[in-house]
Amino acid sequence: MGEITEFLTLMIPAMVPFLLAAQGTVLSGRAGVFNVSQEGLMVLGAAIGFLVSFKVGSNTVGLFAAFAAAALFGLVLAYMTTQLRLDQFVVGLALYFAALGAAGLLYREVIGVTMAPPLIPTLDDYPIPLLSEIPFLGEVLFDHDLVVYAAFLISAGIYWFMYKTRSGLAFRSIGENPKAADSLGINVTWARTWSTVVGSGLVGVAGAYLPMVYTGLYTEGMVAGRGWLVIALAFLGGWRPHLVVAGAAFFAGMEVLALRAQVAGIGIPHQFVLMLPYVATLLVMVFAFRWARQPAFLGRNYDRESRLVG
Amino acid sequence: MSETISPAPSAAPPDAEPSNRVVEALWLLVPYVVSVVLAFVVGGLIILALGQDPVAAFESVLTTSFNTRFGTVETLHKWVPILLCAYAFAIPLATGKFNIGSEGQLLVGATGGVALGILWSDLPMVILLPCVLVAGALAGALWAGIAAFLMVKFNVNEILSTVVLNFISFQVIDYVASQVWPDRGAGHPATTPVGDGALLPGIGDTPPFHSGVLLTLVLVVVIAVFMRRTATGFEMRAVGANLRAAQVHGIKTSRLAGAGLVVGGAVAGLAGSIEVAGVHGKMLEGMQSNFLILGIIVGLMARGSMLALPVVAFGIAVLEVGAGSMQRTAQVPVEMVLIIEALILLFLLLSDIVRTKLRGR
Repeated sequence: MGEITEFLTLMIPAMVPFLLAAQGTVLSGRAGVFNVSQEGLMVLGAAIGFLVSFKVGSNTVGLFAAFAAAALFGLVLAYMTTQLRLDQFVVGLALYFAALGAAGLLYREVIGVTMAPPLIPTLDDYPIPLLSEIPFLGEVLFDHDLVVYAAFLISAGIYWFMYKTRSGLAFRSIGENPKAADSLGINVTWARTWSTVVGSGLVGVAGAYLPMVYTGLYTEGMVAGRGWLVIALAFLGGWRPHLVVAGAAFFAGMEVLALRAQVAGIGIPHQFVLMLPYVATLLVMVFAFRWARQPAFLGRNYDRESRLVG
Repeated sequence: MSETISPAPSAAPPDAEPSNRVVEALWLLVPYVVSVVLAFVVGGLIILALGQDPVAAFESVLTTSFNTRFGTVETLHKWVPILLCAYAFAIPLATGKFNIGSEGQLLVGATGGVALGILWSDLPMVILLPCVLVAGALAGALWAGIAAFLMVKFNVNEILSTVVLNFISFQVIDYVASQVWPDRGAGHPATTPVGDGALLPGIGDTPPFHSGVLLTLVLVVVIAVFMRRTATGFEMRAVGANLRAAQVHGIKTSRLAGAGLVVGGAVAGLAGSIEVAGVHGKMLEGMQSNFLILGIIVGLMARGSMLALPVVAFGIAVLEVGAGSMQRTAQVPVEMVLIIEALILLFLLLSDIVRTKLRGR
């Protein structure tokens, strides 16, 4: 029992980067903008989140700064794909490179080469009164830092917006058939723009969470492909926020499992254990692309004057 | 999905007026020049904002490759993997598929090469060296083949599968370099050296460049001929240009796209074995450098032209070699060069819109 409690208690914070970044991806994806710069935006978010927290002395400010920086990249992506109608993948890749470069440049400029790497304080846990005292569930679910709660609330909020409001229905229709949405008077460009900006910002926060939760350190490879796994997660969840939560639990579970197996030393070379999340992703994608749905207009730009739609 | 990365407007038809050809060539070349200049201007402004001297920075970026023989050799040695990874990206892109896995294919190719180079280290060069190079290409093809299989059979998005395979390959080479043939004295995960027969002979002296450079030149011709003069190459370009039309004409589009990925993987795998046989003499962690990103950048900048790739790759190799010396002499971080490269790419994309407006079509 203790083992399971411990596993789940570790899994919940590990879900947060996946959850935030995947919900951001889903948000813009349902409007038809397929962002592929996540990996870069997470690295940038981690660097800015770390550096601002380090300089200002407040992790909260760091998280917001990471949101703003990544949102700015999202704005460029939105403008170039909705107004100029440039290819979403190519612009996304270019922004991925630019974000990687910016992250490295900023860290080197602000910190430089040091003997001992600088540290920021990790986030404090805020047990929720009463709820955290429930045996088992309280420990697993209600004894974490504030970003954990925020990530789940944001997921719920996006779900509520998309499936329980009238404007959410209109929003989702853009990703399926922008021409039909446009003819109903829905502003396709505006919806794609705000969702890409907010979505990218969430990806940045997901990156910023990484140095703040485990070690308080920033290292170059700390995102370790999570940005790409997040895209896989969006597909796995069928671009639906509630299923993405379940998918995030799977990805985070794999990550924690690999780390714990490595620490426990189970006779298998640790390299094979560390492969586990990625191999699992490959296998899971076989099913994701068979049965999961995706927005019909995902990754394609909408040109009101074009006669070719569909 | 890739409407705007269709091949750059092709040169004028053969019977066009000569002056027309010049005009067409200019419409092709000017955007490159303008994009590069603009990217350097923006980069220079960033360097100014950092409080450093942009002129000194750019001087060392652009001249290091040509000032010393060492710089030139270094540039050629970078050109090879960058170009091969660019092919690994551009060949599948011709069929409309994005291969973001060239670094994994390179590393697994290096593993294949180093395995033979160590196991058969006593064999003479005439036998061993070709075996090492072919093993690299095959291993890379096999690795990309996983993604191709998943794509053709199960419709798995190739962007995701190729990327995820990169992260698996990191663990593969870490295992090989620290468990199978570890060099305990290296202080860094690395294999023991390959046999002498597995090394690409050097050309010229102090310092020589490895003959993989010549091999790459041959490959440039082979790939150009393959893409432009063979039926398969034509079909691949047809699929990328218009998927529906290609299907209607009976081209097996999904298999062809899979084949494109496998060929791309083979080229990246060859890059891995060339790195082993020409540069390192062994396999070590981190040898993939940032060739994945640079290959994609070059592949996107060349905009579907297999002939432009070697030229663009050389330009990027010059920037990369210059980046290190820029950091040493002008105190501008190396990442500045990556930002400039991303800016060139973005400006190049924007130039399409400007060109369309200017030409009124």
